[in-house]
Parts: sequence; C-alpha cells; structure tokens
Amino acid sequence: MLIPRRVKFRKQHHPGRSGAATGGTEVSFGEWGIQALTPAYVTNRQIEAARIAMTRHIKRGGKVWINIYPDRPLTKKPAETRMGSGKGSPEWWVANVKPGRVLFELSGVNEEVAREALRLAIHKLPLKARIVRREGGE
Amino acid sequence: MSEQKLAAEVRNEFGKGAARRARRNAQIPAVIYGHGAEPLHVLLPQKATTLALRTSNALLTLDVDGAEHLALAKDIQRDPIAQIIEHVDLLTVRKGEKVHVDVNIHVAGEVAAGAVFDLEEFTVLVEADATALPETLTINVEGREIGEHVHATDIELPSGVSLLIPEDTVIATVSAPAVAEPEAETAEAAAPSAETPAE
Repeated sequence: MLIPRRVKFRKQHHPGRSGAATGGTEVSFGEWGIQALTPAYVTNRQIEAARIAMTRHIKRGGKVWINIYPDRPLTKKPAETRMGSGKGSPEWWVANVKPGRVLFELSGVNEEVAREALRLAIHKLPLKARIVRREGGE
Repeated sequence: MSEQKLAAEVRNEFGKGAARRARRNAQIPAVIYGHGAEPLHVLLPQKATTLALRTSNALLTLDVDGAEHLALAKDIQRDPIAQIIEHVDLLTVRKGEKVHVDVNIHVAGEVAAGAVFDLEEFTVLVEADATALPETLTINVEGREIGEHVHATDIELPSGVSLLIPEDTVIATVSAPAVAEPEAETAEAAAPSAETPAE
C-alpha cells in the first residue's frame, strides 16, 4: 500500500478540487492508460485495488505504471463525538486527482487484454475515467 | 507518406477571446514558420485538420490566399479532456529538403514462447526527405529469446532515411514475464502511519 514514509505535518487542509490537470495528461511510459474525467480523492486502498485487478488480469507479462501518489492525509472525527475539541485524526491517504490526469499505464499486452485489465481497474476507482492510448500508437 | 491539402485563411484577430471564437466556428488557430521567414498566423478547418493530423508526420499543403505552403506539424496542442486540437505549430519545408523527425516504432512478429518484449523507445529520431517521411519504422522480434535486445541497427530503414541516434541504442528488450502475484494477497489495514519529524 502506498503511504508517505515521513511527513512534515500530520494534518492538512483538504486539497482543492477545482480545475483540470495541468500535467500528467498523456500516456508517457506505457502503451495504454486510464485517464480521469472527473475530480476525485483516490485513496491508497483504491490505487492498490486497481493495481491488483490489472496485474491479476494480465497474469504473466505486461508492465504497469502508477502515475499518482497518495500524499495528502484526510482526517476524521470519531463517531458520536461532539463538534469542537480540535481536528480529527488522520484516517486516509489520498491522491488529489483532477480531470485529464493519467492515473495508470500499461504495456506489453495485446489490445484486448489491455482494455479488459483497464476496465476492471476503472471499476475500483471513485471517478469516471476512460481508456486512452499513447499518441501515435497503432 | 500522405500529403494533405488544406485551405487556410490568414488570422487577423489575436488573444484568447479571438482564439475561442475561431474554435467555436470550427477553426483551429495555427502558425506557420521556418526558413527565416516572418511567422504567418492562420486559421485551419477543424475537421479536415484533425483528420490530416491523425497520420504522424503528415505533410500538409496549405493554401493561404492563393499562396501554397508545404509544412509539417512541429507541435500540436490538444485539450486533454475534450481531445480537440487547440493550436498547431507548422514548420515550412521545401521539396527535397532533409528534415529531422521522430518516427513511431512498429513491432512485427512474435517473440519466443514464454518471453515478452518491452519497448524501451517508442519513437526514434531520423533524417529523411520532407516529402517521403515514413509513418512508422518496423522492428522484427520474431523468435527472439529471453535476454536478447533489439538495437537501433535492427530497425528496417526505408531508402533515403537515416538514423540520428547512436547505433547501440536499445529499442526493445526481450525478458521473462513478471511472476503473477499469489492470490492470497492481503491488504493491510490502512492505518495512516507516516511519521512526523520530532518537534
């Protein structure tokens, strides 16, 4: 599971959700990719679930890249707690994903396997996404 | 090598407002430059340009107010979400001129059973005649065994095309597939445990 090894501050403000991705919008390493179409906080568990879905489908062969990292902590107050008494404790680590961002990349498998693997991975993610191919790909 | 004809008109209005108006009118702002000439700002028809630029290294013949310009797309700006072309940089070329372009690699054949190939380079820089640019360059991986490499010298080059990268550049590697993960993989509890530095 992806998690920062060391952080300067345990609790942060919520990451901004507006706007579109300004970088990481193209398939850079592999042949196929998953591109986000809506903004979302993607947790490290969701990233791991998507990665496992993909690697299990492609079985042997193929290579997977994860282009996002869950570097933002989100906090939560315990259940049945009155308001006040400070900010809750860190509960999740999330990647702040904006529309246009390529989340995962895949290469080394044929089109049919790649599309199915990426489709399965998209179902593990809390956002609308589409499958994109490297520019100039056949 | 495809050659596409496009009717362009000179662009007189500039700025994001004018550019957005043009895009709403199914036109793409573009600039033509090269050979020391003054840059020429034009508007291209959206549909025809999009179709023409689907082919990599397409040679475009632009008709700007009766004057013909032969050009290659040097840079294409796309909207990552809408996937429309927002702007095109066109480089003027002359017939018979040698140009440097990145050409996509096409993989032919099947590697030996139990092996997989991994492309290290998706494009290679070549020098070729502007009017005879290859769309793709082919490497053949037929029967390659685990541990073998495909080098730049293994690329099948059409006549008139020369490589501009070192000959020993690795284009693809053939390796054993990664071992599939065990099914009984357990996800740990997601307790945030990142350390904070001591105060």
